[in-house]
Amino acid sequence: MSVLAQTQQDALNLFEKIGLPTQRDEDWKYTDASRLKDLLESKVSGASVDIHNLGITELDAYRMVFINGVFTANESNLPQGISIESLATFETSNDNNEKELAKLFQVSSSDPLMNGFAAYNAATAKDGAAVCLKDNSKLDKPLYILHVSNQSHVIRHGLMLGKHAEAEVIEHFISLGEDKALSNATTAIILKDGARLEHSRIQQEGKSQSHVARVEVKQLANSSYTFHGVELGGILSRTDLVVDLHEQGASCSLNGLFVLGGRQHVDHHTRIDHTAPHCTSREHYRTVLDGRSHGVFNGKVMVHEGAIKTDSNMSNGNILLSKNAEIDTKPELEIYNDDVKCAHGATIGQLDDKQLFYLRSRGISAEAAQELLTFAFADEVLVAMSNQTVRSYVEKAAFAKLPHSDDLEGLLSE
Amino acid sequence: MIEIKDLHVSVEGKKILKGLNLTINAGEVHAIMGPNGAGKSTLSNVIAGRDGYEITGGSITYKGDDLLEMSPEERAWAGVFLAFQYPVEIPGVNNTYLLKAGVNAKRKHQGLEELDAFDFMKTVKEKAALVELDPSFLSRSVNEGFSGGEKKRNEIFQMAVLEPSLALLDETDSGLDIDALRIVAGGVNKLRSPDRAIVMITHYQRLLDYIEPDFVHVLADGVIQKTGDKSLALELEEHGYDWVKENK
Ligand SMILES: Nc1ncnc2c1ncn2[C@@H]1O[C@H](COP(=O)(O)OP(=O)(O)O)[C@@H](O)[C@H]1O
Ligand SMILES: [Mg+2]
Repeated sequence: MSVLAQTQQDALNLFEKIGLPTQRDEDWKYTDASRLKDLLESKVSGASVDIHNLGITELDAYRMVFINGVFTANESNLPQGISIESLATFETSNDNNEKELAKLFQVSSSDPLMNGFAAYNAATAKDGAAVCLKDNSKLDKPLYILHVSNQSHVIRHGLMLGKHAEAEVIEHFISLGEDKALSNATTAIILKDGARLEHSRIQQEGKSQSHVARVEVKQLANSSYTFHGVELGGILSRTDLVVDLHEQGASCSLNGLFVLGGRQHVDHHTRIDHTAPHCTSREHYRTVLDGRSHGVFNGKVMVHEGAIKTDSNMSNGNILLSKNAEIDTKPELEIYNDDVKCAHGATIGQLDDKQLFYLRSRGISAEAAQELLTFAFADEVLVAMSNQTVRSYVEKAAFAKLPHSDDLEGLLSE
Repeated sequence: MIEIKDLHVSVEGKKILKGLNLTINAGEVHAIMGPNGAGKSTLSNVIAGRDGYEITGGSITYKGDDLLEMSPEERAWAGVFLAFQYPVEIPGVNNTYLLKAGVNAKRKHQGLEELDAFDFMKTVKEKAALVELDPSFLSRSVNEGFSGGEKKRNEIFQMAVLEPSLALLDETDSGLDIDALRIVAGGVNKLRSPDRAIVMITHYQRLLDYIEPDFVHVLADGVIQKTGDKSLALELEEHGYDWVKENK
């Protein structure tokens, strides 16, 4: 049995042992996974679709397209000399870093936030992007991974950045049609010494689609990881984001934005482990909830015993636009040494009266002023995105989901 | 232009204005002086339409209409402008966008076409030059990270773009150093016009050296205690507010 086959068998055993989470599990008390049971299994069929006008078309990037979890080579465009492949092809490689990628399939019941979906993902994933950057190499353009789906599927990406390597990776999830389906997507990442990764994940699937994701990042010395999680689509979406600041000087910055309406339910559980000294973590999540939507944010920072000089800051802001919308937010901090600088906080609120009055006193109608401040509130998270094409795509998509009167048209053309 | 009659205002049950009378005509520049807590900001906020103030009596007529019946934005469209004592920071809202939205909302209300983007930018740049506001401020979020003086300058810049009929400048001079004061005052002077009224609220006589008022009022204990010309400001400087109350 190959290393990978063995690893997947172990993952399957784990899945069979732990099963899917239930609301009795503390980490799943707000999200009812039983709704997803019947959607778990992949129903892979090579849908033939014209995807040319889908996704962020204006983005100058390398592209990998996965349709229902299957790599679609003729829609993709990959750089030379850098190993970016479909996971399905890398296993036979002799390269050491690529061998290490196989380890990214390992799951263990002791991993933070481990659950049946993640185990099932590792056990059954057949495809995904395997990105391997050599030491000191830089991806000269972003890698844009577009996922198009209308059926349940499992996908597992592995990103390995060698020492001082740099890359930007954008994952985008969209649907064809409105079938009920589940995307089960994991991205496992290793950043070696001094590597830098900016990673966006834009979930914009169809109204009936569900999404369960896990992003796990292991950071070696002085590496830097920036995450932008944008939740716009789907009916139920859960992401577990697990970052291990494993060696000295590593830093991460996790940004999240939910713009929800209708009966959408989005849950992000994040877990940052400060394992080593002198690491920095920043986390900034914002949600704007309308209709009967439900947002869940649980951000846990664990500062371990030896992790002196930890610098950690977390903030979560929420605006409820409707009486029936709901947010459950819980920033959690566990600290096992004294030599740290940590702050965290969450706010749930309406808009600021002083700001509203200021705008109205300048001639902006009450309605437009509210909409403008709501948009500005959401946009503050996107400021951290360095890719302006991606940012403006997300801004437009978020703006379209927020209530906006005619007076506000033109805002995004500024 | 505006006629305030027997205005009574309370905040959280506390009486602040107690029968204030004030009439201001187009083309005039008025200064309102008075001790801290006298109710000067209360008066300007009530004119601009901020809620949280209970009007327990009196009336304000503006260009023949009942001002107190109008929403803040309607007042802005009708030409009321308040330069805030403490301008609020609005992260994520672009300074230029705010003005464009404000100008166009007003035009729409007046039945005019929206301004062409190019013409608008040209106007904006001219007006920024008027108060020597660095053009980089135009693309920044409203007041975010501005110094105290920059915020005040930004207020006068907005006034220049919005071209109000009645401008209330609430302590625009405080927090300005002497050079900035000269620049801002120069901007305000250029905005003086026969169909515009300007009301300056200030603690200090020095502002009036730069912008010469037609009338000076002393507001204390919730009413206008005394009205005079600019020599009143000098007397005040010399004798203090108690002197005013004793020599009504
Ligand atoms: N929003 C408010 N809430 C409570 N008290 C207020 C509020 N605004 C003003 N006041 C009170 O009203 C009085 C007048 O305040 P203000 O109009 O700001 O005075 P001035 O501008 O003349 O210094 C003060 O006693 C102040 O504390
Ligand atoms: Mg005041």
